[in-house]
Amino acid sequence: MIEYKNVSKSYGKQKVVKDLNLKIPDGEFVVLIGPSGCGKTTTLKMLNRLIEMDSGSISIDGKNIMEMNPEKLRSRIGYVIQQIGLFPNMTVEENICVVPRLLKWDKEKSRQRAKELLELVNMPYETYAHKYPNEMSGGQQQRIGVLRALAAEPPIILMDEPFGALDPITRDSLQDEVKSLQQRLGKTVIFVTHDMDEALKMADTVVFMSEGQILQTDSPEGILRAPANDTVREFMGKHVHNFSQNQLACSDLMKTNVAKVTQDKKTLECVNIMSRREIDSLVVVDREEHYIGVLLIETVNERGKAGDTIRDLITVDFPTVTPDTPAKTAFDIISSQRAEYVIVLTEDKKVAGIITKTSMSKALASVVWGDGQ
Amino acid sequence: MSATMIFEHLYIVLLSVLFTVLLGLPLGVLAYMKKPVRSVVLWAVDILQTIPALALLGIIMVFLGAGKPTVIIGLVLYSLLPVVHNTYLGLSNIEPAIKEAADGMGMSRTYRLLHVEIPIAFPVIFTGIRIATVTSIGVAVFATFVGGGGLGSVIYRGIHIQNMQLILFGTLSLMGMAVLFDGVMAYIEKRLYRHRTVKGDEH
Repeated sequence: MIEYKNVSKSYGKQKVVKDLNLKIPDGEFVVLIGPSGCGKTTTLKMLNRLIEMDSGSISIDGKNIMEMNPEKLRSRIGYVIQQIGLFPNMTVEENICVVPRLLKWDKEKSRQRAKELLELVNMPYETYAHKYPNEMSGGQQQRIGVLRALAAEPPIILMDEPFGALDPITRDSLQDEVKSLQQRLGKTVIFVTHDMDEALKMADTVVFMSEGQILQTDSPEGILRAPANDTVREFMGKHVHNFSQNQLACSDLMKTNVAKVTQDKKTLECVNIMSRREIDSLVVVDREEHYIGVLLIETVNERGKAGDTIRDLITVDFPTVTPDTPAKTAFDIISSQRAEYVIVLTEDKKVAGIITKTSMSKALASVVWGDGQ
Repeated sequence: MSATMIFEHLYIVLLSVLFTVLLGLPLGVLAYMKKPVRSVVLWAVDILQTIPALALLGIIMVFLGAGKPTVIIGLVLYSLLPVVHNTYLGLSNIEPAIKEAADGMGMSRTYRLLHVEIPIAFPVIFTGIRIATVTSIGVAVFATFVGGGGLGSVIYRGIHIQNMQLILFGTLSLMGMAVLFDGVMAYIEKRLYRHRTVKGDEH
């Protein structure tokens, strides 16, 4: 557990971090995000004392970091920076083993560790261990940068915009790798970025900072759904737009092309319709198109007899909504009840459409990435 | 007799280069680490270089008398400039990111200097040593005026007795020595530079 208590830092008259309080539980992936100059990097670097705070206190597992030897403290906290900062005079293996060497591990143990780590990111020891940094691409170098931070098995890793200088494809795959490494190894990661996509993808908890203060601490979903104020909302821009205003209603994302049958249809005929359209259920209506229920393929399999009508096989307690129900309600129904879809009914109980998981995720995609893509 | 002069010359040069490094490297490091003394150190080695070599040797001779120590001290003072300057420059041109990474890993200041900064700056420092060596080979000719011997005395005697052969022998040996040292050290230098930066070709 890491705890910031009333931490402040100024450069001259400029207060960059103001009375900051933050608790980070073990094993959590915390992303500090905010516009440049918001104090996120300062907040990060005060933890390993590359920047000394002016007032307040930071403790790790109850121990005040100001009472520890700064070099010892740093050797127990992994550190990854945007400019990578590999040592050009050392091979990949030597770079990885910098901290183990500082901690006086024996040579065989260090080598074993380097080997193990390289395998973790699918870089064979034989191929890479003896290369120099300038013989590798930027993406490979930053992989080594991450391994170097992991080498001495620190419980905490600090990452200061580690992927900011990489091309989008490399960045994407490194994000995946780091996230899965973090989960597998159970590390506490504090990660600074100004890229909201990255924050939403990586974080367990997003800490939004502005002008040296924390404006919001929340899960990625939480911050998307309910940004604390206009600064947060503005910064997230396209990500949050539709969520915040609840503009989307069920009618915006329902599928209107629904497979409907009347209740006097025969079982076999219905099964044929399902197999032809590659679906596993049909909406059942009466002759005036009023909604009755749903015919599920499971029910037909269990109790259906060829030649009978489907009248007795209809499931009637299916979730329904109206066209102007907020889309979020439909989303909650689908995610909580584990229903495959919800049925959208007009006021006179006619079927307007259905909302499936697919239409839900398409709508989410258009919110997150915009309609044009 | 003339061949021993070559060795004597070589001996003077190598010994003074050794002392130049032993003195110049710490001075360069000092200039890099301690801002207040930086300008003083860099200014002092600059000034030393502007004193004519012959005059410098003469001044030292007044205090220490004639002989090899005078020559060697003179050569050391005279060739400090490239070593001190290149040490300072090599160290201060290291990317800040590398220094930050070193600090972030938990290195102490001395550890960082010895294991990261000096190794990275070494090719630049070595260039300074090469320049100092080649310059010293030429400047050591003046040794003959303060009783130091070496190839300078061969040339000087050749001029005195107007013996072209002797002058040519001394001059060509000097030139050969300078070219040889320069070539070998330039080769080593080139190899040292291979891993000085992290910027590689993109794969």
